[in-house]
Amino acid sequence: MSESQKSYKVRKLEELLRNKKLPRQVVGSLVGCIHCGMCHESCHYALSSPDDPRMTPSYKADQIRKLFKRYRDWTGRVFPWWVGAHTPLTDEDLERLKDIAFGTCTNCRRCTFNCPMGVDTATLNRLMRGLLTSVGVMPEGVRVVSKDQWEIGNQMGVLKEDFLDTLEWMSEELAEELGHDRAAIPVDKQGSKVVYAINPREAKYDPRTIKSAALIFYAAGESWTMASEGWDQTNFGLFSGDDQLGGAAGRRVFDKVAELGGERLVISECGHGYRSTRCEAPNWAGVTVPFVMESSVMTMLRYIKEGRIKVDKTKNSARVTYHDSCNLARSCGFYEEPRELLRLVTTDFQEMHPNRTENYCCTGGGGAMSMSEYAPRRLKSGRVKADQIAATGAKIVVTSCHNCVDGLGDVIKHYKLDCQVKQLVDLVAEALVLDEPKPAEEAPQVAVTAAAGAAAQRDGRSLTGRRILVVDDEEDARTFLSMVLEDAGASIFQAADGAEAIRVALKERPDLITLDLSMPGKDGIETFTELRRTPQIAQIQVCIITGHPEFRKLIYDRPVAPPEGYMNKPVKAEDLVANVRRILELEKRRA
Amino acid sequence: MPEFKVGDRVLDIDEDGFIQKPEVWDEEVAKALSKTEGVEQMSENHWKLVNYLRQYYLEYGVAPMIRKLCKATGFKLNEIYELFPSGPAKGACKVAGLPKPTGCV
Repeated sequence: MSESQKSYKVRKLEELLRNKKLPRQVVGSLVGCIHCGMCHESCHYALSSPDDPRMTPSYKADQIRKLFKRYRDWTGRVFPWWVGAHTPLTDEDLERLKDIAFGTCTNCRRCTFNCPMGVDTATLNRLMRGLLTSVGVMPEGVRVVSKDQWEIGNQMGVLKEDFLDTLEWMSEELAEELGHDRAAIPVDKQGSKVVYAINPREAKYDPRTIKSAALIFYAAGESWTMASEGWDQTNFGLFSGDDQLGGAAGRRVFDKVAELGGERLVISECGHGYRSTRCEAPNWAGVTVPFVMESSVMTMLRYIKEGRIKVDKTKNSARVTYHDSCNLARSCGFYEEPRELLRLVTTDFQEMHPNRTENYCCTGGGGAMSMSEYAPRRLKSGRVKADQIAATGAKIVVTSCHNCVDGLGDVIKHYKLDCQVKQLVDLVAEALVLDEPKPAEEAPQVAVTAAAGAAAQRDGRSLTGRRILVVDDEEDARTFLSMVLEDAGASIFQAADGAEAIRVALKERPDLITLDLSMPGKDGIETFTELRRTPQIAQIQVCIITGHPEFRKLIYDRPVAPPEGYMNKPVKAEDLVANVRRILELEKRRA
Repeated sequence: MPEFKVGDRVLDIDEDGFIQKPEVWDEEVAKALSKTEGVEQMSENHWKLVNYLRQYYLEYGVAPMIRKLCKATGFKLNEIYELFPSGPAKGACKVAGLPKPTGCV
């Protein structure tokens, strides 16, 4: 076929195949396959259609490999028949590739985990989806949703006024149930510690999970808010393979949390949303996220462990099993925490087999729920899942993913299983024991801050009323820092090593910690990480003071919220006071 | 494209069972569709929901937010799930002859 006869889509795709920069795992996946058949045993499509070789992951991946062989590899250009390269692309090929990339793989990565050669078929498949998407070849469902996510800012086209109306409605329902309006959902509340982002499905069709989450935040006395915009944590960029959409959707959420001064973005139970927002979007968007991101499962678990909420597991006595979402378990390593939480709020938990990273897909992964054209194939592939569920004898299948809720719901209906699907937030809310309502957490803090400010004004010393923990193994340094800060009006505690620092921080709960990095025993980096990971003291401001400026990267690379300040020794007295004051002022503004 | 038989008519449906042409919808179609969604008998309450969904869809071209549905019909959220076990998106919208809602549902 001559160049002029080719459609624009074909020419464009050929250009992309020749020139697109390929990540390392894609290059490895293009050459690594030895056709051993392990992936066949791993794939729910292949297992449900054992007679159809086109369902085997290596076959699907081969269709993509052939393309790269043709357009990337010189051997494919010179003797394509010999090296198994693709024939020149046609429009029909694009449709066929669409059918494979979107319709026979949910990118669940089970074959990836079971490949002895480390071939990442799911990543290869997502790359193919992205290439097709960039020339406009994609299922209609994916196109519509991506458009809404680009243009309206959430994947279901929920308008701002409708969203706010829905939150208000849930607040009213809570008020009706509790007899007071203190559990109302805060919206755009500046300086809240937690910003809660959700899946639009919750607002549009089933806001019961929003209500449950609000009740839990209220019971924990959390300082939290939802945002009127940038509240959609889902990301169709992951499904369509469009990194630009992925970055844009992620950035909207990040920007809003930063604008609200939030310290923690809590992501409601959604597998692909969690993976996209927490693990992928910072890369897609090319940004560094300055706050902590966590799944609401972690938040709820922490509340129970810290005693901030009380639960009575006997309220959930039906047999439950847990379905691991592919994105949570295989892509984020997030599978023990949901189980820990589940055991705290239910009495009869039965594992599904296989489980964790070996669990089978709900059938709805990779955006499959939005592609009706592949529904029969999807439901056929659900036989594996149905057998797994039936073997547990559970009445409730629990999952931490909205896609799984719908995927499993379809499987349960199609295979006539006698059970229902719930999320952890439902079960925690169900098990919740509400004591006397706690006052909102920020109230006393505002009072303290105001009192400190007033006291500071009275005596002219800028740190009056502040409580600071000075951590340094050198006595001279400790004494110097303490003296300067004390002169500025602060109350000082001291610690000579990391272990002591954690102890004192837990006991005294200072406003700020100055932390040396090179110390014997538990060093500063370790201590810092532990501080951030210990929930009771995670929020304390930290100013690193070190003689090693090169450690900065080490500290900022830790997977925890970065320190609020970083100073190099030797430190001048006035710089120290100014820095500490700035950090504390910053907190005051946020509060 | 799969087909769906209602009386002696044959309608086009998508693979998830949603009818493709909203204009062919009538009470008979709704009754037949409701059986696929675990609703054996359409009660007055079922009709109230379905009629609102349909009217909203014909006017705006999209399914309404559940908030609007509850406000307009006076049903509580849980009551909707009692009426249509597969929920408002997949259950009620299907019976009302809407196309499948877009997104993660």
